[in-house]
Amino acid sequence: MTSEAIRTPGAPAERPQPPNNSSATHRMLERTELQATLDRLVTKRVTIISACAGSGKTSLLRAWARSQGYRVAFVSVDRDRADGQLFWHSVLDALGAPASAGRLEKAEAGSQLDADSVIDRVLSGIVDLAEPVALIIDDLHELVSDETLGQLERLLVNLPRSAHAILSSRRDPRLRLHQLRLAGEVGEIRARHLSFTESETRELLSASGVALSDERVAALWSRTEGWAAGLRLAVISLEAHPDPDRFVEEFSGGDRAVSEYLLAEMLDRQPSDVQRMLLRTSLVPSMNGELADLLADRSDSERILLELEDTNAFVVSLDRQRTWFRYHQLLADFLRLELRRTLADEVPELHRRAAQWFADHGHVLDAVHHLLAAGDWQQAAKLLAEELFSLTLDGQQAAIASLLRSFPPGASAQDSDLALAHAASEMAQGRLEEAAAHLALAEAGLDSAPPERRRRLETTIASSRLALARRRGQFAVVTEQVERLCSSNMDESGDAAHYSALRGAALTNLGIAQMWSGQLDQAERHLSQGADLARRIDRPYLELACRAHLGFASLQSFPTARERSREAIALAERHGWDDRPLVAPALGTLAATSIWMGELEEGERWLQRAWKAVAQDLDPANAVLLRLIAGILHAARSEHQRSLEELLLAEESQALLEGEHVLAPQVSAWLASAHTHLGRPDLARTFLAGVPPARADTGEIRAARSTVSLAEGNAAFALEEAQTVLDGTSTVMHAFTLVEAHLIAGRAELELGHRSEAKAAAEAALAAAEPDRLMLPFVVTDALALLETVRPQDTAHRALLIEVREVLGGAPSARARNDWAASPEQLSPSELRVLRYLPTNLTRPEIASELYVSVNTVNTHIRNIYSKLGARGRSSAVEHARKVKLLAGARAQ
Amino acid sequence: MESAPSLYTIRLDGHLGPTALSAFPKMVAQETGPDTVLTGVVEDRSALFGLIGQIEALGLELAELRRLGPRKQSPVSGDGASPDAS
Repeated sequence: MTSEAIRTPGAPAERPQPPNNSSATHRMLERTELQATLDRLVTKRVTIISACAGSGKTSLLRAWARSQGYRVAFVSVDRDRADGQLFWHSVLDALGAPASAGRLEKAEAGSQLDADSVIDRVLSGIVDLAEPVALIIDDLHELVSDETLGQLERLLVNLPRSAHAILSSRRDPRLRLHQLRLAGEVGEIRARHLSFTESETRELLSASGVALSDERVAALWSRTEGWAAGLRLAVISLEAHPDPDRFVEEFSGGDRAVSEYLLAEMLDRQPSDVQRMLLRTSLVPSMNGELADLLADRSDSERILLELEDTNAFVVSLDRQRTWFRYHQLLADFLRLELRRTLADEVPELHRRAAQWFADHGHVLDAVHHLLAAGDWQQAAKLLAEELFSLTLDGQQAAIASLLRSFPPGASAQDSDLALAHAASEMAQGRLEEAAAHLALAEAGLDSAPPERRRRLETTIASSRLALARRRGQFAVVTEQVERLCSSNMDESGDAAHYSALRGAALTNLGIAQMWSGQLDQAERHLSQGADLARRIDRPYLELACRAHLGFASLQSFPTARERSREAIALAERHGWDDRPLVAPALGTLAATSIWMGELEEGERWLQRAWKAVAQDLDPANAVLLRLIAGILHAARSEHQRSLEELLLAEESQALLEGEHVLAPQVSAWLASAHTHLGRPDLARTFLAGVPPARADTGEIRAARSTVSLAEGNAAFALEEAQTVLDGTSTVMHAFTLVEAHLIAGRAELELGHRSEAKAAAEAALAAAEPDRLMLPFVVTDALALLETVRPQDTAHRALLIEVREVLGGAPSARARNDWAASPEQLSPSELRVLRYLPTNLTRPEIASELYVSVNTVNTHIRNIYSKLGARGRSSAVEHARKVKLLAGARAQ
Repeated sequence: MESAPSLYTIRLDGHLGPTALSAFPKMVAQETGPDTVLTGVVEDRSALFGLIGQIEALGLELAELRRLGPRKQSPVSGDGASPDAS
């Protein structure tokens, strides 16, 4: 079965709470016994209602929800909005806990932010309600993603006592709830419970004023087998029928499949103009009065739809004000078939009308879809090209790509609008060569475009060229192009919105290009401007593009870089974009800063998340960043061979860019370091000698050279070279190179026997490392011996020194030991129990279920553990705990 | 069977009217007693589940689904005929 249109346009974005209007339900039977059954079952943690379409599941749930004293959160899974992010957003919205709630504890790290954190949030949302709540999920069968189902499973297993879930589905859901079942916590309602009894059938008929003999009632009931939709359809036909008994006789005497027969009868009963309206409006998944009027050639569709809703359950309003409607799925599918069968030649015209309406109301993608359905692909291409820029800025690449597949194959060669659309789509997928080719095609066709469209097409093409240049690393070209683009549009009086969007995109590309080419201050400025402009013109995707890079551009200060990166990710999550390649720089920045601060596991988790995000499209500039981080991570763990491999890949990616990447000196420096650690300082030296001249003079390369000298045993030379980094005659990207240089100088001094100079160097290293708490340089420069020259009581950076020593595995100083010895008394028994689980891979919800407490309890314990141990993350808590034998003590509990 | 077409028969409860029949353009329908039997070549697995989905969507009752052939080729026998075929 194909769905005939994309997503519900214009209709409220969130599925509403069940409507309050009682008039729509006065003909529905109050099925009190069934409701009582549901009441009973709902005391269990999970109730599953599994029965085919038309069994009355949704009606039951809505009636039940209305009758409840306590809070109900109602979520209807929409086929077109069934992806994980959107689903969980709906759940959070229904709970009244908006997805952007910042009060939830900052997630540990990248790791399973998508899984555990979402569940944590939902659970927090539930607990925060401080009252019992029933979470109803209707149309669960529309949720097809294994990942989302897995998350739902985990949510259900961890529901607090105050919450009850009711899941409604057309098929038995693929959820593994064995433990809950064994504990008797799963209730079931199936078709046989929902089907009408004979006496309910009689009640339904008399409530609708239909008079039937007892025999006929029995026959009707038996033929429909108590199927709710069947009975309701029959009632509609019976109400208008001159001879109800005969209707039932014919119905039960014949062989026609029940559902189709009754649907056909019901349609026949309607006045012919209503029939026409029903058929013609079945083309769209939902409609308001205006759209229905347009399709059905009338002026009172809204009234008819309201009436239909009041008299039967097959038309449903989607919003509280009852302005948007849709048909019950059974009816909708039947109507569409009937439309195609009986009014086939009207169908293309209907699609065109729908397309016009959607285009007029700003729903471009739906309009394009309908134009394609009408067979007007050139029109569709024009519309798509015109709105392409706008759609791309809104992050609609996937929708564009899928629409493009519906065009006739080979059409783009003849049509420059379509070529332009393809170019944009290919760029989004990282296929730069193809994109360039399509842009060329599009440009070639410009001359034949009508003059009034030419300007807009030109600027769209120019903007695409800009993005392409940036992706290819032609950073100088970008700057030039941006200036040209902006100045040529200065006096454009026409489209202010278009101009702003263009300027926003230009600032973004400029900022990103400047960032990757090392002009961080300029980048920061332009990206901030771009973000502000994007927010003013309400282009969240564009804003995200700027913010995702702002973190990296602010790398001079780790706290700022981290804060900005987190902001970007939060923005992405609000819109369900946090798994897009766009957020990679923000994730990478968090990974890199974590690793530099010594939090390797946290860093790894962010990095893994970043890799997932770029799975569809890895742009070379991002590749350099992520591979460098991977290389550094391995080096930090002394996995030098793997570090080397990653760094070589980083070099390859850097080679794909036409300009020098800002991280190129870092890549080279770490490569040299890897060779050195693998016992080949000669290779390192050769490699460094081959670096391009501009790069060779950077602080990073000079520091790398001094490291090699030290490894070769040439302390004096190493010292000299380190000084060239410290004397300010070279540029460094960040203070960490300075820390390194101090440490190399210190080690060299130590080897030369200059103990007090060594100590001064160590002190200087600590001072430089303090602001951003840089731990990594100490690890990779094997600085332990050097640090022993400094006594904690003598330095202003006592805490840092102690921490570094811990990490390097040296024995803590006597004073430090005394500090820690106080701890075991401070952790409570419950905290010790949770502590035991920290070294494992168990997530917080898993720990909670091991301990039979709620996730929030676990969260509280962990917070306390961290603060008592002075730890900043799971791994440092574990380290500290190990140091003082806390874990052994805990195990004994 | 993933990508090879096969002949299928599908038995549904009751007789289908023209509207429901129009949902299965690639199948031939025969009324057999109280049931309807649809016969036709189904292109691949994805098409098969599409058919089943269509049946579910129309609220029809699926009584039987049977693949009539071809069976998987065995590497030994040359013509794919089962050993019992006479």
